[in-house]
Amino acid sequence: MTNVIEIENLNLWYGDHQALKDITIPIKGNKVTALIGPSGCGKSTLIRCINRMNDLVDSCRVEGSMMFHGENIYGPDTDVIKVRKKIGMIFQKPNPFPMSIRDNITYGPKIHGVEDEDELERIVVDSLKKAALWEEVEDRLDSSAMALSGGQQQRLCIARTLSVSPEIILMDEPTSALDPIATAKIEELIDTLVKEFTVVIVTHNMQQASRISDYTGFMYLGEMIEFSKTEKLFTRPSEQLTERYITGRFG
Amino acid sequence: MTETESIRMEGRFHTDTVTKYFLMGIASIAISIVFFIILFIFANSTDAIRDVGIVKLFTTPRWAPGEELFGTVPIISGTLAVTAGAMIIAVPIGVSAAIFISEVAPGRFKTILKSVSEVFAGIPSVVYGFFGLMYLVPVLRDLFPDKLLLGSSWLAGSILLGIMALPTIISVSEDALNAVPRSYREASLAMGATKWETTRKVVTPAAVSGISTAIILGMGRAIGETMAVMMVCGNTPIVPDPFYNVFSGIRPITASLAFEMSYVVVGSTYYSALFFLALVLMGMVLLVSLVSKMMVSRTRKRFGEVKEGETVLHKLASKLPVSVVNGIKNGVWALVLFTVVLIASKPWLNVLGAAVLGAAVTAFSISVALLWINKLEKEGRLGADGRPLNASEFFEMLSTKTKARIRRALGLLAIVVLIYMPVSLFYDDVTSVLSGIAVAALFVVWKRLYRKVDSMRAQKVAHTGLMLVMAVTIGILLVIIVRIFVEGLPTVTWEFLTGFPEDAGRAGGIYPAIVGTLKLVAGAMIIALPLGIISGIYLAEYSKDTPLTRTIRNCIDILSGTPSIVFGLFGMTVFVILFGWGYSLIGGCITLGFMILPVIIRTTEEALKAVPQELREGSLAMGATKWQTTVKVVLPAAFGSVITGIILAIGRAAGETAPIMFTAVVAFQSKIPKSIFDPVMALPYQLYYLSTEGIAPPGMRSGVAVVLLSLVLSMFVLASIVRYHYNKKFKW
Repeated sequence: MTNVIEIENLNLWYGDHQALKDITIPIKGNKVTALIGPSGCGKSTLIRCINRMNDLVDSCRVEGSMMFHGENIYGPDTDVIKVRKKIGMIFQKPNPFPMSIRDNITYGPKIHGVEDEDELERIVVDSLKKAALWEEVEDRLDSSAMALSGGQQQRLCIARTLSVSPEIILMDEPTSALDPIATAKIEELIDTLVKEFTVVIVTHNMQQASRISDYTGFMYLGEMIEFSKTEKLFTRPSEQLTERYITGRFG
Repeated sequence: MTETESIRMEGRFHTDTVTKYFLMGIASIAISIVFFIILFIFANSTDAIRDVGIVKLFTTPRWAPGEELFGTVPIISGTLAVTAGAMIIAVPIGVSAAIFISEVAPGRFKTILKSVSEVFAGIPSVVYGFFGLMYLVPVLRDLFPDKLLLGSSWLAGSILLGIMALPTIISVSEDALNAVPRSYREASLAMGATKWETTRKVVTPAAVSGISTAIILGMGRAIGETMAVMMVCGNTPIVPDPFYNVFSGIRPITASLAFEMSYVVVGSTYYSALFFLALVLMGMVLLVSLVSKMMVSRTRKRFGEVKEGETVLHKLASKLPVSVVNGIKNGVWALVLFTVVLIASKPWLNVLGAAVLGAAVTAFSISVALLWINKLEKEGRLGADGRPLNASEFFEMLSTKTKARIRRALGLLAIVVLIYMPVSLFYDDVTSVLSGIAVAALFVVWKRLYRKVDSMRAQKVAHTGLMLVMAVTIGILLVIIVRIFVEGLPTVTWEFLTGFPEDAGRAGGIYPAIVGTLKLVAGAMIIALPLGIISGIYLAEYSKDTPLTRTIRNCIDILSGTPSIVFGLFGMTVFVILFGWGYSLIGGCITLGFMILPVIIRTTEEALKAVPQELREGSLAMGATKWQTTVKVVLPAAFGSVITGIILAIGRAAGETAPIMFTAVVAFQSKIPKSIFDPVMALPYQLYYLSTEGIAPPGMRSGVAVVLLSLVLSMFVLASIVRYHYNKKFKW
C-alpha cells in the first residue's frame, strides 16, 4: 500500500514552546491510522498540521516537510485551500452550521463551484448515504441541522466533509462528545469509509484505537515514541514507555 | 472542654436579608421613574385624545395647529422617513465595518478600531447637528442646487442620523460576529473555503439575528434623536411627495416636540397634542425594544441555548388555535401586498384608485394560490403534511428551483425599484425605469462573472472593499473633529473661557455656560450615582429571577431606550410646571440624573458580574456576609470598570441638550447664579442656540463646539487611562 502522506522531521512551535519534535511517520492510503497518547502530547496538534488548520494560530511556526503525493503541504507555493479540499477534518465536538441539513451538505460543493441543482441533489443523497445518515433524515432535509442528536450531527459533519470528495479524512477525537451507541455507529462508519478514503484519527481511547485502526502512533510530550501496525503496538510494543501507557500505568 | 458557639441565628432577621430588601427598594426606583414618565405623558395627552379624537389624530392629513388641525401623520411619517433613510446609509457601512473589525483586521487594530467607534458614539448630538448645519447642508445645497434651496432636508437628516447610528450598529454587530463559535469557522475552512467565503456564507448568516438586533438598536437611536434632526431636517411637517423625495423637508416627532414646546400655551389642545406625539414616540421606542428582545432570544435559540419555540411570539402562537395563527399570518401577508401595491401606484392614481388596485392584486394573488393548491391536490402531489394553510407554508411547498427563481425575480424587481426612485427625482419616468432595468441587468452579468473569479482573488477584492469602508468611516469622524477644531480653536482664548457673554451671546465669553454645564453634570451625578450603583449591586449580587427583578430590568431597558426629549418633557411637566420651580438648575440636574441612571446601573451590574465567582466564594467561605463580600471584595475588584463607566456617563451627560432645554437653561446670563432654583447657561444649549439663531459669527459657534467637544473627548481619554491602569492591576 502506498504512502499518501509522508511526514518527515516535523517540528512545530507555539511561540517559544515546542509542541512537536522531529515527527517522522508515513500515512498509508485506505488505512486507518490512529494517534494516541496522554493529553497534551501533541496528537491533536499533529493532526491539525496535516490540513494546515494550525495556520489559524498566529504564533504557530512549522519546520520540516509533509509530503502529500510527493508535494509538500508546507511548500511556499502550496494552495492551502486545495490542501483542505483534499484533506477534510472532523472535529471533537460536532459542529454543523446553523442551517438546514441540505444546506450543510451543499455548502462545500457550492463554494467549490458546483451550481447545477440536480448535481447538488445527487451529492446530498450520496454524502448522506455514505455517512449512514440518509435513512434517518431523508424526510427532513430542509429542517435545521441543530435539531439532530449529537451522534447524528457528527455523522452530518462527516457527510459534509465527504461532499467535497476528499482523499483523506482527519478525525480529531470524533466520538469524545458522544454516547456509546453513537460511538459504535461512528466506528462502524469508519470501517466502511476506509474502503474509499484514508482516515487519520486522534483518540484518547486505546480500545477504540485497537478496534478500528490499522496503524497506531503513540505520542508523548511532542515526540512520536512508537509508530507501527496496531496489532504489534498493542501486543508487542518495542518501547517501554508505550507498554506502560497501553497497560494503563500512566496517562 | 471548650465552649462551642451556637450556630443558631440571633434575632429574627439575618442582616443580609435586611440589606437585600433595602437594596431592592432602591432598585425599584427605576420602576417608579418609568411609571411616572408614562403617566405624565399619558395624562397630558388625554385632552387631545378627548377633544380631537384618536381617529382624527391619526387620519387628519395635516398638522396645522393655527387652524386647529392636529393630524400626526406628517410628523410620524417624518420620523419613519428619516429613520429609514438613515438605515439605508448606516446598515451597509456599519455591517461592513463590523465585519472588517471582527473578521479581517489583525488583533491589535481591533481594539483601536473599537475605541474609535466608541468615540463616535460619545460625540454629543448637538455637535453632530452643528456639523450638519455648518458643513453638510451647504455641501448638499451645492451638489443639488435645483432641488435644494436651503439644503436642510430629509436627505441631510438621514445622512447625519446614519452617521450617528453607525457606532451602535458597528459595536453590536461586531459582538454578534465575535460570538459565532470558532468551530463554525474551522468546519468551513477545513473544507477548503476561503476566509471570505466563510465570513459570507457561514459567519454572517450565523450572526444574522445579532446583526438585526444591532440594526434595530440603531433604529432606536435614530428614532429618539432630537437635536441633530431638529437642526438639519428643514422643519416642515409635511409628507414628502412623492414619498421617496429625499429633497423634501420633513419634521420628525422629536424635532416637533423640541420646536413647538417653547411656543405652546400650557393646557391648550395644542399642548396636549404635542404630548400625544410624545406618547406615539414612546410607543415606537417600546416596540423597537420589544423587537430587539425577540431578536436576542432568537440568537440564543440559534446557538442551541433555548429550545425551539420558546420565543415570545412562539409562546403566544402556541396558545392560539392553529386556524387563528394561520389567519393572522395570511392577513399580514395580504396587508403587506396591499400596502406595497398601494404605495407603488400612488404616483399615478388617486388614493381610492390605488386602494382598489391594491385590493385587486391581493385578491388575484390569493385566488392564484388557491387554484394552484387545488390543482396539486387533484394530482395528488401534496405531501404527507396536507395542504398548506398559510402563505409561508405555501412558499415552502414549492420546489427548490422555483423558490430560488422567485427570490431572484423579487431581488431584481427590488433593484429596479430602488434605482427608479432616486433617478426619477431628476429625470422622467421612462429614463428612470430604463436605468433601473439597466442596473439590474448589470447585476446579473456581474454575478455571472463573479462565479468565474478565482476565490482567493475574490477574497482580496472583498477584503480591500471592507477596508475602504472602514477607512471612510474613520475619515468621516476625523473630518468632523478636525473641521470643528480648525475653525473654532482660534476663538478659544483665555478671555473666551473666563468672560461673560456680551450682546446676547454674539460676543464675549462663555464662562457661565462652562460653569453651568459642570454644575448640571455634578448635580446629575449626585442623584444618579448612589441610586445607580446600589441598583447595580442589587441586580448583580442579590437579585434572583423573580417577577420583580424582571420588571426592574425591563424598566431599565425602557429608560435607556427613552428618547432624551421625553425626559425633557417629563422634567418640564413635573419641575417647571407642577412644582412651579420654573427653569432651574435642580430641575435640570434631576432630569439629567434620571436619564443617566440606566447607564450607571448597567455599568455597575456588568462590572460586578465580570468578577470571578471564586473571589466571592473565598470570602463567603470564611463566614463573611454577602454585604461584606460585596463591599470588601467584589466592589474593589470591579472598581476600575465602574469608574470607567461613570466617566463615560459624565461625558454623555455633559453633551445632552434635549433634557435640559425645557427644564434648566437660558441663553444669556451676565452673572453666575447663586441659587439652585435659578436657571443656568450650558454649553450644548449654547451651541444649539448660536447655530440656529444665525446671529453669532461662525468662530463663536465653533468655539463653543470646540470647548464642548474637548470636554467630552477628555472624558474618553480619562476613561481609557483608568481602564488601562486597572487592567494592569487586576488580571484574571
